[in-house]
Amino acid sequence: MKQMSKTSELIAKPEVMAGEIKQSRELFRILFHRSPIGTYIIQNGHFRLVNRQLAYILGYEEDELIGRPSLGFVLAEDRDAVRENAVRMLEGGCSLGYEFRIVTKQAKIKWVMETVAPVHYQRKRATLGSLIDVTERKQVEERLKQITGEMQRSNTELEQFAYVISHDLQEPLRMVSSYTQLLAKRYGNKLDSDADEFIAYAVDGAKRMQTLLHGLLDYSRVGTRGKPFSLVNCEHIVEQAMANLKIAIEESGASVSYDVLPTVMGDEGQLVQLFQNLIGNAIKFRREEPLQVHIWAGRRNSVVTFSVNDNGIGINPQHSQSIFEIFRRLHTREEYPGTGMGLAICKKIVERHGGHISVQSQPGQGSTFHFSVDMAGGESE
Amino acid sequence: MNSQIAERPMEILLVDDNPGDVRLTAEALRDGEVENRLHTAKDGMEAMAFLRRKGRYIDAPRPDLILLDLNMPRMNGRQVLAEIKEDSTLKHIPVVILTGSREMDDIVKTYDLHANCYVTKPIDFEQFIMMMKSITDFWLSIVKLPSEEN
Repeated sequence: MKQMSKTSELIAKPEVMAGEIKQSRELFRILFHRSPIGTYIIQNGHFRLVNRQLAYILGYEEDELIGRPSLGFVLAEDRDAVRENAVRMLEGGCSLGYEFRIVTKQAKIKWVMETVAPVHYQRKRATLGSLIDVTERKQVEERLKQITGEMQRSNTELEQFAYVISHDLQEPLRMVSSYTQLLAKRYGNKLDSDADEFIAYAVDGAKRMQTLLHGLLDYSRVGTRGKPFSLVNCEHIVEQAMANLKIAIEESGASVSYDVLPTVMGDEGQLVQLFQNLIGNAIKFRREEPLQVHIWAGRRNSVVTFSVNDNGIGINPQHSQSIFEIFRRLHTREEYPGTGMGLAICKKIVERHGGHISVQSQPGQGSTFHFSVDMAGGESE
Repeated sequence: MNSQIAERPMEILLVDDNPGDVRLTAEALRDGEVENRLHTAKDGMEAMAFLRRKGRYIDAPRPDLILLDLNMPRMNGRQVLAEIKEDSTLKHIPVVILTGSREMDDIVKTYDLHANCYVTKPIDFEQFIMMMKSITDFWLSIVKLPSEEN
């Protein structure tokens, strides 16, 4: 009896069934016809069922689409790709939608994104498709791509410009400097003392300009002449930098020490130059007391941070940003020679390695330069 | 050391398109100890005509040393170097690349083309004189080269 009554419950009464049919029709009407996503069923390459939104995107009436080959609305160049992507998606090879261009009834080209799934419709194999209009997003993307491209081009051009300028200016400069020297050599004692002084200033100016051009050339080379990244042992890098500074280290009596240093992805030559510039600066800006330089490193996720500490003259914190600008000098040439390019080159090298450089310092209390290398970022790709 | 020295002045061919550089080299060579005669060509075409005794160079001497600039119009230094080193009658003449370029690319490429040496013109004239003296001393009196007659 109990079972009987359960079965009788399952056999729906006609009025209940009519209600349910009405309800599911309404649901179908909402989900299909009112959907903000173009939805359709394709069989044998032809539209069998389309919703209002698809018709709207394509610029047709719904009944105009029924029975028409669906690929006919795809821009001719995109048809092969659409066919391929659809097959791949139907076979379960990918789950992301694919994008292509369609041509509307009004001959307008729109970007759309489609996803498809295999279904059965009226007992036959069919494809259920959904499609959204992504024209606006695509336009923004295109514009962004264009802007990025333009920026990269102008950056490269700027680097090339700095490079060519600094390279090509050397030739005429060599003429100025050589011939003033030749003047001095041949006529030096035949002219008066004023003339000698003028010649000396001209020669000195030309030499200084050449030093500046070399600095600029080195700076632009960081971007234009960098080597691809590889795994480099930073203890070897520091040893190499110290070997290059051997004479300066010996003459200044500096002691340079380092903790265990990691292996990073980077441009070996540039990392040597980076440590060499920082240790070299420590030697140059040392105090009377024996110079001590210590280097250590720490790691957080993919970012390795190096620190180079010295007990030198230190830097006023108000200059802690500007010292990394090109040609920036805090001292007269008489006090400390140099072009003001060293730290600018350091900054450029660090940035190429996806990192940042900064300094912590107080006048008279030494300096600590921190810089990072991002193993995941930088230019390595 | 080298018996050639006493017999005749050394013939040097300078290939450079910049008259300022040509004069400077002439001045530096004038101060040198090796007796020499400087011939000049203002581009690669002239240099090859000189070396092959074409046209107005019909009586040109065979140079003992070639000083070659890289960047020149018409035919540049690399092309001249390649032609010289491929020519069995010219390839033994030492070619010194004398240029303003410090580009590693230029250095590698010219050695690949069998340049005998590569030097960069210094900006300091005194250094330039020293350098020219070293070059001429080395190539014209120290090294032993196969002579044309042999």
